[in-house]
Amino acid sequence: MIRKFRRLVNRVATCVLLAITVLGFGFVTSAQQTDRAKNIGKKVKCVCGGCEDTASTCNHTGGAFSGPCDTAKTMLKEIDQRIARGESDDMILQNFVQEYGPTVLIEPPKQGFSWMAWIVPVVLPLWAVWMVWNVVRRWRERAALTPAGGPGVSADLLARARSEAEKERDE
Amino acid sequence: MDIFGSFALLLAFILAVYAFVAGIVAIVTRRPLLTKSARNAGMAVFVLVTLAVATLEYFFFTNNFSLAYVSAHSNSALPGFYKFAALWSGQEGSLLWWSWLLSTYAFWALFLNRKKHPELMPYVGVILSGVQIFFLTLNNFVATPFKVLAGADASGAMHIARLSDGSGLNPLLQYPEMVIHPPMLYLGYTGFTVPFAFALAALLGRYPGEKWIHITRRWTMVAWCFQGVGILLGAHWAYAVLGWGGYWAWDPVENASLLPWITGTAFLHSVMMQEKRGMMKVWNVWLVFVTFMLCILGTMLTRSGVVSSVHAFAESSIGGWFVGFLAIIFLVCFAAWWKNRDYLRSDNQLDSLVSRESSFLFNNLILLAACFAVLWGTLFPVFSEWVTGNKISVGPPFFNKVNIPIALFLLLLTGVGPLLAWRKTSYDALKRNFAGPLAGGIAAGAVTFAFGFRDFYALMCLILGVFVTLTIFAEFYRGARVIAQRDGTNMLSAAGELTMRNTRRYGGYVVHFGMVLIFIGIAGQAFNQDIQKELNPGQSLAIGPYTILSQNYDDIANDNYQSERATLEVFYKGKSDMMLYPEHRLYLASQVSSTMVAIESSPLRDLYVVYAGRSPDTNQPVVHAYLNPLVKWIWFGGIVVILGTGLAMLPNRRAALVLRPAAEGSWAEGVSGGHPSTLQAPARRSGADD
Repeated sequence: MIRKFRRLVNRVATCVLLAITVLGFGFVTSAQQTDRAKNIGKKVKCVCGGCEDTASTCNHTGGAFSGPCDTAKTMLKEIDQRIARGESDDMILQNFVQEYGPTVLIEPPKQGFSWMAWIVPVVLPLWAVWMVWNVVRRWRERAALTPAGGPGVSADLLARARSEAEKERDE
Repeated sequence: MDIFGSFALLLAFILAVYAFVAGIVAIVTRRPLLTKSARNAGMAVFVLVTLAVATLEYFFFTNNFSLAYVSAHSNSALPGFYKFAALWSGQEGSLLWWSWLLSTYAFWALFLNRKKHPELMPYVGVILSGVQIFFLTLNNFVATPFKVLAGADASGAMHIARLSDGSGLNPLLQYPEMVIHPPMLYLGYTGFTVPFAFALAALLGRYPGEKWIHITRRWTMVAWCFQGVGILLGAHWAYAVLGWGGYWAWDPVENASLLPWITGTAFLHSVMMQEKRGMMKVWNVWLVFVTFMLCILGTMLTRSGVVSSVHAFAESSIGGWFVGFLAIIFLVCFAAWWKNRDYLRSDNQLDSLVSRESSFLFNNLILLAACFAVLWGTLFPVFSEWVTGNKISVGPPFFNKVNIPIALFLLLLTGVGPLLAWRKTSYDALKRNFAGPLAGGIAAGAVTFAFGFRDFYALMCLILGVFVTLTIFAEFYRGARVIAQRDGTNMLSAAGELTMRNTRRYGGYVVHFGMVLIFIGIAGQAFNQDIQKELNPGQSLAIGPYTILSQNYDDIANDNYQSERATLEVFYKGKSDMMLYPEHRLYLASQVSSTMVAIESSPLRDLYVVYAGRSPDTNQPVVHAYLNPLVKWIWFGGIVVILGTGLAMLPNRRAALVLRPAAEGSWAEGVSGGHPSTLQAPARRSGADD
């Protein structure tokens, strides 16, 4: 009897543990999906045409309701559904691009002509640094070639310069 | 009365054309009377444009809805405060406002220098008039604010129509800061015309000496300061009004205002190379030119609809005028530079890469890289459409990814640059100046890391911020200690004396410190939190250490708007702390809604609460709460930057050498005969004090 009772307790405990594990896992998965959806939603623009926000941050100031519009909610729902179907982030984004065109992405995609958006702000300043470096090197070479001496300095000017330098040193 | 305003504007245009033509003739023929006449005409433009502005304001205050502009941007119930500001709320009025500010600057530039620089000022007058002609052309013939509404009676005869009430001012503009933000920003945009005029004038007239660069620098500082204040006020307005919890969205119009400010900053640094060592003259002249061109480009972006922006005015064909004007400016600048490039030959060369000169050079490169990255990102959608036919979106993540590393490098240079000596810095000096601040920065970073902060950029920003702050304070300390020891005063008054002796250098340090505060404030963004929830009375939401309990929602109404106001009790760590009252308003004339955000601000964090209104799905009230760390540092840093700029514009106090009763045989005995006396030290040459 006691053994039966123990077995029952064990079975119930196992079921409860299993239920907790499954529910907990489900909860965590659902929370992760929501966060993931939110992050993906931050990479696509809300396509309602009335704002410049992302699907996750859509906030219609000046509207009757200053919050996400129906379009943004639909987009987020679609992302959720695609996550549930096991699609990767890239696949989900690609799907939006196919549906709405490349404008839907909040930043230029790293492909084709859009690569230029990323490359140019890095390459051009580096090229400028290289140019300046060359100019400076040429300046320094020229300075080294300049014969010592330079223009003559009058004794008067030299004395004044010395006295001013001393004053500055005292300060 | 509208005829009066139109006539004043037309006369202003004619006078500007006269000032331009007569000025050129006077330069060629060297006739002093004609020079004076052209100058007076240039100054009179200010009076006439003022009359036009006063007329339009009169129409706003008298609710004259026969004028298209007034009826589109005002209504009878609009408070007087906003009727005044409605002047610049639309395309036509804001262009008139541009012209008025430009004519004000031109008036003062011509008036203050009427007896100075006789070789330079005629050119300055011509250039200022040229710019005025462009804007007055727009005011008179393209976007006139004095257009009346036409109606037809039963017989088909046309007459002036008068509406019973106007459409009202955009609710987003009905906020106190909007009364001051646009004028400040426009003072910046228009202000850059004056240094541009002086630089181009000096080049065209081959003005001898370096005086023009001092004048240019001073006027640039004025415009730069206004532009900075305008940008900050705009950011604060966006934060306090738009209700999205942020202050900077990298919107094309925001970016446009940042561009001339960045190149202006570059100029204010590189100009020291020219003043101190006669270097980078071509660079400086082009920086002034580019800054002005970016001002015109920014104005074009706001008004043409080339790029989509929440701030932009209605799409119009006005962009073509600006493109034409930009092309003319570029051609004139290029021709002036090409013809006179020998005039800008450098006096000196760079002696060492570890020197103040090279740090300015890098500072300029980094600033221009930042400027280019912002411009590139802003215009890339247009380029992309030209090339591929697809308009690509370039949103905040792009700008953050590209600009944050650049900004951090700039912050590093802010600390390094001022401590390097001119010409060459020795290794010992480097060690002496940087070891302490660097150790302090790294220690601050280590402590913060130990407390669990892991955001790389925020951590770097903190390390560099502490480093720069310590270098600045070390500079003040070193200088003040010398004065305190010599004069026997305390360190605080010695620091004050030090600052007043070299306002430009120490004012510059104060500006740098303000920038550090702004950077740290921006870094706080990495730790923002937000939550949105339906919140019926009795329900609560939690964010960070706060719990927000909804008490009730009530209706408020007046002639201008009706509002639903939320009453929220805020608990801090479980204890009742404060009440917040965010609102959701509907403006009656325009039938446009707007939120009134409730912000509880502290140096550590802002609790930012928006009542979003009723959910369209459930009709339940929705509250959106944000927890934004360190935002107050940005506004406080802005105030410090303004104070520092003001300080840097003050003239230096001349050093008074107080000679104490001298010890026997000391050098003072020889000068004063052993009696205490005060000697005036020789005045320092402006520009030689950095």
